[in-house]
Amino acid sequence: MSERTDLVKKEEASPVRSRRIPAVAPVVDIFENDDEILLFANMPGVKKDEISVNIDNGKLTLTGVRMTETSGAPCWEEFGDVEYRRTFSVPQIIDVAKVNAEFKNGVLKLHLPRSEATKPRQIEIKAA
Amino acid sequence: MWTRGRDIDRMFGAMDLLRSRMNNLFTDFDRSYGNDYGWTVAAGTPRTNIHDAGDHLEVTAEVPGFRKDDITIKIQGNYLEISGVRASDSPEGYTAHRVEREILPFSRSFTLPADVNADKVAANLKNGILKLTLPKAEAAKPKQIKIS
Repeated sequence: MSERTDLVKKEEASPVRSRRIPAVAPVVDIFENDDEILLFANMPGVKKDEISVNIDNGKLTLTGVRMTETSGAPCWEEFGDVEYRRTFSVPQIIDVAKVNAEFKNGVLKLHLPRSEATKPRQIEIKAA
Repeated sequence: MWTRGRDIDRMFGAMDLLRSRMNNLFTDFDRSYGNDYGWTVAAGTPRTNIHDAGDHLEVTAEVPGFRKDDITIKIQGNYLEISGVRASDSPEGYTAHRVEREILPFSRSFTLPADVNADKVAANLKNGILKLTLPKAEAAKPKQIKIS
């Protein structure tokens, strides 16, 4: 039996746990040709300013936070606030300075151009 | 005897921990969707939310990569049907390393919690989220009753 005679139960000393948004990996398509690698990532509902694409030391990280903006009582909920996050390793052939991205209709399109030296080249055979 | 019981409890505790770690292993490995999402069923795409805001209903759906013309919306009374197919944006002349985004046509229908005024429905597609605002029919709106 507890001997506590406090009038008011004191809160446990644990810090307030803020609700963390679940992190989810967005689905991607990856395509490649001789000039560049293309990456399409589905990130619906994320605003353009909240997407961040980071390339650091050969690792590409895509991040975006999506907050649902509906009002009213939920009757049926299948998706909610989510943090999209996925990491890839970038191969050596990519020219990191020339990477560019566009975001349209909820799809992030990343262009990763190959560096000039690594593009395939035809070697001409000269008649000796 | 009592100490034996405690040993068995500890062993079961360890096995439970092992089992939950193994479960997490399978869901974490190369996952496309987080734990909460579970297995996606083909009939359950695209993911949709329905909210009731008093005098209107709001239906939002995740439709990344869709353009306005790719989606068809049909409404009748309290029946809503959304269908469509995404135009493929696979670039020509590229080899594909990974294709996870599907291009399957979808069709989903809902029975809404209230009748809807089909003439005043507004639909908006932004950043891959389709948002329908459906004003409720007059009879279905909430009303204040005064106590005399």
